[in-house]
Amino acid sequence: MDKITYEELPELFESVAAIFAEKKDELCDMDAHMGDGDLGLTMNKGFGALPGLIKENGVEGDIGKTLMKSGMKMASLVPSTMGTLMSSGLMGAGKAMGSVPELGAKELSVFFRGFADGVANRGKNKPGERTITDALEPAALSAEEAFAGGGDLKAVIDGALSGVEKGVEATKDMLPVKGKAAVFADRAKGVPDQGAVAAKYLIQGMHNYISE
Amino acid sequence: MKKIINVPENYTDDMLRGIYAAHPDMVKYVEDDLRCYCTAKKKDGKVAIITGGGTGHLPLFLGYVGENLLDGCGVGGVFQSPSAEQIYNVSKEVEAGAGILYLYGNYSGDIMNFDMAAEMLEMDDIKTKSIVGADDVLSNSNPDARRGVAGIFFMYKCAGAKAAEMGSLDEVLAAAQEAKDNTRTVGFALTPCVIPELGKSNFTLGDDEMAFGMGIHGEPGVWNGPIKTADELASESMDEILKDMPVAEGEEVCVLINGLGATSLEELYILSGSVRKILDDKKIKVYRTFVGECATSMEMAGASVSILKVTGDKMKKWIDMPVNTPFIKL
Repeated sequence: MDKITYEELPELFESVAAIFAEKKDELCDMDAHMGDGDLGLTMNKGFGALPGLIKENGVEGDIGKTLMKSGMKMASLVPSTMGTLMSSGLMGAGKAMGSVPELGAKELSVFFRGFADGVANRGKNKPGERTITDALEPAALSAEEAFAGGGDLKAVIDGALSGVEKGVEATKDMLPVKGKAAVFADRAKGVPDQGAVAAKYLIQGMHNYISE
Repeated sequence: MKKIINVPENYTDDMLRGIYAAHPDMVKYVEDDLRCYCTAKKKDGKVAIITGGGTGHLPLFLGYVGENLLDGCGVGGVFQSPSAEQIYNVSKEVEAGAGILYLYGNYSGDIMNFDMAAEMLEMDDIKTKSIVGADDVLSNSNPDARRGVAGIFFMYKCAGAKAAEMGSLDEVLAAAQEAKDNTRTVGFALTPCVIPELGKSNFTLGDDEMAFGMGIHGEPGVWNGPIKTADELASESMDEILKDMPVAEGEEVCVLINGLGATSLEELYILSGSVRKILDDKKIKVYRTFVGECATSMEMAGASVSILKVTGDKMKKWIDMPVNTPFIKL
């Protein structure tokens, strides 16, 4: 596969939905460990609905607008913090990509940059605060590097996946400073951030589809 | 819980059905969504002003949609933000060719959703600007981190009047900013309110206890203690306000004495009299006094004192412009 067409966009996110369905309980358990407990449900509900939202709200041949519209719809469906952040990521990705009819290597690297920026701007996240941004930022950087080095679609998604994995690993040594998790900071040591792990599953799902 | 409701889950939507049924000539909703609350009297070429926030504060927020005030409101559930999609749908309906000002309270959920809606509108080439009310002096020493409470009344009034004068988006924003820069509020609660879906209040106060500096969602204040007299409460409130925003002898102010939902107008006028005595003693002139409910917390008892420092004749004209909504007629 060297590109993903507008028509194939729902399938790409069906692959993401499949992972979140599988990892629902794991994410809930991780979240409960840090004082909340609904992350798996939120991700499963939001990403589970996304392929349908894309079909219903698609702007024919315009992946950027389609992602922005379906991102906003997803936000209404999952109004929790992480639901809002993931939706903002999709909107940021769509905005950064603009009106493109297909996702090639370049567009995919722009997707990850826009997604990371969209989340960081909405959450006012900075690297090192043990948030989803600590996984998305290295993913975007690796994806951009892969594209700059002449990589194809597969190389870009491989880059994003290796970047996000490194990012998740690094959060094990970070202390939470924001939100409810900050209250349970002493429980964080040695455990990856649950938002970062959710980012990994998003990219993992996209990777599965592209590698098929 | 003693409330006149059907089922707690329908608190917001049943309220909205009642409002639309009572005032069909003034307001309507769009996209089959009761929570997309719009003026029924759109005016071409005027800057559209949109607000939004949780239910439980009437007449805030939707009550300010009407003539010479606002054009639309995203309505959230009790103490919850409206969704970005609702704000977006309201925006698409009331936008009239001169851009949109988002004017709402400084709460993180609302900010995320208004920002998201603004991004969507940018894609549609509709221009938006945003400003948040942040007048609650005791909520934070950093002015940018303060909550928005009753003082947003003055921002609505000034921005609404400037838009009615057919000012540009930048001019309407500047009017809101001028009101914001010169408004401070201090509030206090005597009893909590019950959130319908919880069936209980989210904090408790003893029979003779009050909470000074408490927010309109029950956010903790600066002290809880025995209830004080109207004169003492006025004095403590005015001290905090004037410490934060000095007003010199001879300068002019507008006063807003706001009830939080369950406090009688009699009590509000007692408090208003106490505030007036302090201003007279300091030789601060009072241009106008507003007494009533403009930002409540359902059936919470308590009040807030807001002071607007009047910057000149232009602002007086904005404050004096008549307004007419289902909830506010001045």
